[in-house]
Amino acid sequence: MNTGILKPTLAIYAAIFLLFLYGPLIILAILSFQSQGGGPQFPIQEWSTYWYRHLFGVTETSRVSQLPVGDALVRSLILAFMTTVVSTVLGTMSAEAFRTRFKGSGPVFYLIILGMMVPGVLVGLGMALLSNFAGIDRAWWGTAFVLHVVYTYPFAFLVMLAIFNRFDRSVEEASLSLGVSPAQTFRRVTFPILFPGVLSAMLFSFTLSYDEFSRTLFTVGRELTLPLAIYGTFSVEIYPNIFAFGVLTTLFSFTLLVVYGLLMKRFTSRRARFSGQEEAA
Amino acid sequence: MTSVTTDMAVATKDSPAVKREGRDRRRAFMLLAPGVVWMILFMVLPMLMVIYVSFWTQTTFAVEPTLTTASWERFMSSTTYISAIGTTLRIWVIVLLATLVVGYPVALFIGLFVKNRTVQTALLVACVIPFWTSFLIRVIAWRPMLGTEGAINLILMKLGIIDQPLTFLLFSEFSVLVGMTQIYCVFMVGPITFMIARIDESMIEAARDLGASFWTIFRRIVLPLSMPGVIVGAIFVSVMVLGEFATAASLSGRKVNLLGNIIVSQVGSLKWAFAAVAGVVLTVIITAVITLALRVVDLRKEM
Repeated sequence: MNTGILKPTLAIYAAIFLLFLYGPLIILAILSFQSQGGGPQFPIQEWSTYWYRHLFGVTETSRVSQLPVGDALVRSLILAFMTTVVSTVLGTMSAEAFRTRFKGSGPVFYLIILGMMVPGVLVGLGMALLSNFAGIDRAWWGTAFVLHVVYTYPFAFLVMLAIFNRFDRSVEEASLSLGVSPAQTFRRVTFPILFPGVLSAMLFSFTLSYDEFSRTLFTVGRELTLPLAIYGTFSVEIYPNIFAFGVLTTLFSFTLLVVYGLLMKRFTSRRARFSGQEEAA
Repeated sequence: MTSVTTDMAVATKDSPAVKREGRDRRRAFMLLAPGVVWMILFMVLPMLMVIYVSFWTQTTFAVEPTLTTASWERFMSSTTYISAIGTTLRIWVIVLLATLVVGYPVALFIGLFVKNRTVQTALLVACVIPFWTSFLIRVIAWRPMLGTEGAINLILMKLGIIDQPLTFLLFSEFSVLVGMTQIYCVFMVGPITFMIARIDESMIEAARDLGASFWTIFRRIVLPLSMPGVIVGAIFVSVMVLGEFATAASLSGRKVNLLGNIIVSQVGSLKWAFAAVAGVVLTVIITAVITLALRVVDLRKEM
């Protein structure tokens, strides 16, 4: 292909694009090390970890109030965990159902996918109206939780659907007809095939729920989740403590991603070793 | 004639294949029921509730289930609300085009020019990683970037390109557009890269052997085959931008009012019926956009 300068041009463009994606986060990370007297902008008066200490409340009292993240963080983690469990189970069940052809599979597919498509502010509003109408108190573990599942269940469903599409059922049947017990078959055949999908579905559900904001806004009730606690501080003047928080929460997401990667790698290498043994035999 | 067909029907009804099919179907139904019930109760019902409440009577701090079209009339006769529809549509079109223009060359590079699978995956992961970090943090990160004392102004002034800080960068429509483009670009780059990477290498080689220039190859092969990716990306970006309010609220300094912002502010002042009207209008717009896009591409086949 006579691409000439096209390839290098596109490569430079892609590099600029990555800078565009990461630039703001890099600036944010740099400014999180601003000193106590400095504002949320350049220049850096003096490098310090003041705002990190401020975040954990270990600095002497200052005019800037501490970010209200403590309880909210615990709530968000519990909520994300609940959402992960329910949406992964629902997603796996639905994807399993889609392995058999049945009438009306098209509408059901779109009904599920709609959950990730419909804007959070709309379902949030609807849920708030519905709970007012039904006289149910709004709470993060109730009205907000069910909406989080509405949002993450389609992701889990799509991931599992992709796994099941590649899953040859005859492998399972072969195991069963060779006299292996159903429990053994599940442990040795079905589970290893499904595991990467389940792990990905869990990662999606957890991170999406942990960060979910627009669906939670109207349905959370009095006790806020982490993103809402952060959003509340946007309307007033911002301080570098938000930047410090941003760095920490980004690191937390990366940790999750790394744990996921390690689990995945360990699992696939074990499977590779297993197939290696088979070849040797 | 009739007796023969009934006989056959009886015979097939008892056959193991039919029995198994029935059992499979019942099993599929049982497996699907919880998910479908969940979606109907917590997604469809709330959406119907929005439509219902948009016809309720709004009093100062509450809504009453007496049906009226007063909220609709007030919405349609208010220039603030009507202009919010216009702003929403304008921002949507600009961000959609911006994500496409910014994202397509990147997708083209990763999908077509990077031959090494590992590098390809690494580049895609690099594009997707910001998606895993907090949405609100990514929005707020634009403030120290675009502010009058922000990084961009600082650099431009150091370079001597400007001597006064540019004020239009932050708390304007511009900052909202830049922020949204950065946040939603990933959803354009991903599907397009996926479609381009799937193009059979031999097809491009054949075209090249027949003397086609890169431009011809791009126009006749790559572009048409990447279209499903563009549509899928456009659907993702559209539904997210149309339902946006947080970016506009934190970066525009209340200058940009989207339909989402109207909903949030109306709920904040307990005007549930007006919020519901704005919600229905937003739903209609989004439904129209998705329906249009789905006419072009079958989502189920692409996923």
